[in-house]
Amino acid sequence: MEPLHDLTIKKFHEGLLDKEFSALEVTQAYFDRIKTHDKEIGAYLSLAEESAAREASAVDVAIAEGDDVGMLAGVPLAIKDAILVKGQPATAASKMLEHYVASYDAGVIEKLKSEKTVFLGKTNMDEFAMGSSTENSAFKITHNPHDLSRVPGGSSGGSAAAVAGNMALGSLGSDTFGSIRIPASFCGVVGLKPTYGAVSRSGLIAMTSSLDQIGPITKTVEDAAILFKAIAGKDPMDATSSDADYDNILDPKLDRIKSFTIGLPEEYFIGGLDPLVSKEVEAAIEKLKSFGIKFKKVSLPHTKYAVPAYYLSMPAEVSSNLARFDDIRYGVGPGEKRPDNLMDIYFKTRGEKFGAEAKRRIILGTFVLSSGYYDAYYDKAQRVRTLVKRDFDEVFKDVDVLLTPVAPTPAFKIGEKIDDPLSMYLSDVFTGPANLAGICAVSLSTKPSSALAAGELPVGFQLIGKKWHEADILGIGQYYEKLN
Amino acid sequence: MSSSINKEKLEHLAKLARIEIAPGEEEKLLKDLENILEHFKELEALDTTNVPPMAGGSDLLNVFREDAKENGGRENTNRGAGVDAFPESKDGYNKVPPVFE
Repeated sequence: MEPLHDLTIKKFHEGLLDKEFSALEVTQAYFDRIKTHDKEIGAYLSLAEESAAREASAVDVAIAEGDDVGMLAGVPLAIKDAILVKGQPATAASKMLEHYVASYDAGVIEKLKSEKTVFLGKTNMDEFAMGSSTENSAFKITHNPHDLSRVPGGSSGGSAAAVAGNMALGSLGSDTFGSIRIPASFCGVVGLKPTYGAVSRSGLIAMTSSLDQIGPITKTVEDAAILFKAIAGKDPMDATSSDADYDNILDPKLDRIKSFTIGLPEEYFIGGLDPLVSKEVEAAIEKLKSFGIKFKKVSLPHTKYAVPAYYLSMPAEVSSNLARFDDIRYGVGPGEKRPDNLMDIYFKTRGEKFGAEAKRRIILGTFVLSSGYYDAYYDKAQRVRTLVKRDFDEVFKDVDVLLTPVAPTPAFKIGEKIDDPLSMYLSDVFTGPANLAGICAVSLSTKPSSALAAGELPVGFQLIGKKWHEADILGIGQYYEKLN
Repeated sequence: MSSSINKEKLEHLAKLARIEIAPGEEEKLLKDLENILEHFKELEALDTTNVPPMAGGSDLLNVFREDAKENGGRENTNRGAGVDAFPESKDGYNKVPPVFE
């Protein structure tokens, strides 16, 4: 059987149809690897061995009976713990939901179940998706598979580490301001933040509803396209979701890709960039130039205001979204006794079970929404959001796609930024603007993991596309991988 | 505009948010919030007088549907399996301590 580190969704599908292996064998191989490797990496919060074996066996039976199965049938996936899979824990890496078991499937999980994928388990994350390093998890630290002393990025760090560590063939994460793309970059895998509304948010434990999107993390751009196509589309349970035409996303046309002009926004190539990031991103640009794609310098003048606008408006949504967590509706642990008085339940539960970052954001959100400050902070930040979006509208009249670094640095050391929230916030400076504008963006590694020297850290570059134009960025990405 | 959060204001906000702040947490929280607000003051200089606020991520307007289960409601999201998560329940209802005593 194909070793797990060489396996892609496409190769898995072909091997399954050629009877090189069964879906159950591959699922078992992933669990074997999780058991030997996840102790040191810490990607998973919970495993679903029994249901995964049932799901895989059902695919093997279908194939034995000669049924047609789709590209994703039997594909073993890891799911971020903020996404609900019925009957499995969904803790969002918070003490608040430590004992909560999901009572329904998220919209994306319903779609994947109809494709007969296999769900290996739920992955670690920053509590309620708040962070860029996965160090804010209430339960454990996840280590970067390329260097165990470093963070995997966040907040979808477990999902990226599971794929990079060959402990899942693909995974789902969620991205509010970079939470799929940053861990993809730090772990040397591919991560797509879809256009806002392309993928249902039903069953995603909400952090910032106007920005959150679920997206795939995979080893190749082609795999990301396969997984994205399967989860995209309108869901009646999410009024902001809509259908778009992604029919040709798996079959990008070379002539079209070659006719693109890629913009390089000057605000993203700044002095503070880590030398390794500069060098790798420059090399990626040269490779694409050799391909015949034209480049053009452009400007997105409001870029520097994106982070402040986010950190003054996001907490407002956080304070509303997290108001429901109070030990009145969600699981209380065995033997755990609630106080008798209602007010005591609220204050004690929320004081003790929310982590420091969640509390910081709830208090800040309460502040920016309070009388006398609303206009100065919340309303102001939302007007700035319009300016950030207009910057993109303007440059997309001139260029088809933008190319930028994903983060100013490669994976940083565990513990390096955790005590200084502000420095952690600035990790998101290049990823956040796409969320504010509602457009799509993908992070892909400048070179395949197999080409990294011993001890060399992976670096990602970002392709930002127009709304509903995932085919453009994934198309360029698919050809970039072929070049490599 | 006074952007500062002092100890009294923090305690008031924590009360509004129904969060008990442990005495040891207060100082660090106050310092972090001060730093964040101070750093993000640069927005003040930006003129946004005639710029409309952008509140959502979608361009969609007015998506209506009848409020009925057959129009999209997933089963067992609230009653049913959801009840299992209630810390205390009676006859399928969530049991909570008295609101007025």
